[in-house]
Amino acid sequence: MTYRPVTLSRRQLLKAGVGIGASTLFATQLHANTIDTQAHIVILGGGASGMAMANRLATRLRGGTITLIEPREAHHYQPGWTMVASGVWAADKTMRPNAQFVPQGINWVREHAAGVDAEKRRVELTNGEAVDYDYLVVATGLQLNYHLIDGMSPSLVGQHGIGSVYASIEAASRTRQAIKAWVDSGQGQGIFTISPTAVKCAGAPLKMTFTTLSHLEDSGRRDDFDVDFMAPGASLFSQPWVDGFVKERFDQQGVNRHHYHRLTAIDPGAKQAEFVLEDGDGDERITRDYDFIHVVPPMSAHDFLKQSDLIAQEGPFANEWLDVDIHTLQHNRYPEVFGIGDVIGAPINKTAASVKAQAPVVEANLLAQLMGKPLPARHNGYTSCPMITGIGKAMLVEFGYADNYAFMPSFPFIDPKDESWAVWVMKDRMLQPAYYAVLEGQA
Amino acid sequence: MTIYGTLIVLMYALAPFVWWLMAGITFLIALHIIAYLRGYQLTQYRCYPALVIAALIGLSSLLWIPWLTHSQLSYIATVFDWVALIGAMVGVFVLAFLALHPLSYLVRERG
Repeated sequence: MTYRPVTLSRRQLLKAGVGIGASTLFATQLHANTIDTQAHIVILGGGASGMAMANRLATRLRGGTITLIEPREAHHYQPGWTMVASGVWAADKTMRPNAQFVPQGINWVREHAAGVDAEKRRVELTNGEAVDYDYLVVATGLQLNYHLIDGMSPSLVGQHGIGSVYASIEAASRTRQAIKAWVDSGQGQGIFTISPTAVKCAGAPLKMTFTTLSHLEDSGRRDDFDVDFMAPGASLFSQPWVDGFVKERFDQQGVNRHHYHRLTAIDPGAKQAEFVLEDGDGDERITRDYDFIHVVPPMSAHDFLKQSDLIAQEGPFANEWLDVDIHTLQHNRYPEVFGIGDVIGAPINKTAASVKAQAPVVEANLLAQLMGKPLPARHNGYTSCPMITGIGKAMLVEFGYADNYAFMPSFPFIDPKDESWAVWVMKDRMLQPAYYAVLEGQA
Repeated sequence: MTIYGTLIVLMYALAPFVWWLMAGITFLIALHIIAYLRGYQLTQYRCYPALVIAALIGLSSLLWIPWLTHSQLSYIATVFDWVALIGAMVGVFVLAFLALHPLSYLVRERG
């Protein structure tokens, strides 16, 4: 696997430009006062949220130590994986070296975490070593539980008509090949699924369906294909208006919706998938043949977190997600611990856009906690999904916790209910740069 | 999204192309300087073929801009879509004109 290295001079150029812009044009809260401390802050995870926090805290803290625990050398722009799986992007467009984003002066530990002892304030590593902390930012992302689907594993993606955009960038590429092979076959049964659990980018299963429909319609033989969508519940998306829109659009595009169908097993050799009917007593199972199936695995916090005292112990996120206050992002039982990103137990917002909204909240509240002050910032649940409804068009869906996930548009001239070329161009050209700005603490 | 936030994102979006942008701007400036030194003045020199060709290039972008963005003209649906596309078309026309106009002067002068 290769990724495009970026020279340090480009990063310096960007920072110079940002600095000049900030100093000459605008005042910004991103360049708030520095805080003197001797605290040791550990950031567990170097994905979007961990890297954003590393850069923000490196700017704000003078003295003290910041340790980033992240074993990977490559940083993956995961929101681009649906574009890869849909055949719009090349895979290497989504990869950068992590070294490009790690700020100077922090301690980067390239190891996997094995456990967290919250009472001792210690992160245990798989190499047997341990890192003690004064404050902990849990930014681990989530775990893909393919093993909960009998017969399924990430290694099967790309074989026997199985696709799954979530497993990895390689899996996204193989999903693209599987879709292409199916479309090129000229006929057959396609099945698209969603998970009964919270997932990262809840729009991705729908986007994969819509982009595959684009390919089927472009083939000129749409009528020779059957497309079914199997959902474990009544809804396809958490935002109510979008849920209704997607259902209506699926109906218009000839997608057969099957609700209360939860994927439980796959027989790759026979190309069969088993579903349990969730609206009954849970015993009725049906088996469906497929020529292509898109698998969305159940997801949860990583096992080492689920085995720690940091996991939620009651409520809707019990045993599966990090136990945080969904507004302050502070752990509900360990005030020196904060959570950010996909790992937190929250009703929505496992997206990169949510990280952009959460990072300043965690920054402000962690620093307030460090100084013994009340937590000033609250997260409103902002999340965003550029809902791709076909290759070349998308809807800018943005919403938060309030008012039954009411829309929260960033731009007054973009209606979240409109399919738009400009929103597609944002997804295709602008969101990745915006993501890197978030990683570097500049947005 | 604040204006500052938008500018930050634009900077990051343009960063991979900064050398190309600088090369293009340098080319245009050099072209205009060379033409100016040989008597060219943007507001005085008339060349309708350059204007027409630049306009055609701008108009043609109605088709190839959506194609470049992996989309299609039929997906230009909202008011903002049209404003964005027309703005891009005008930008293409202006750039084409800024290149063709002094070039046509230099070609004529050489002839």
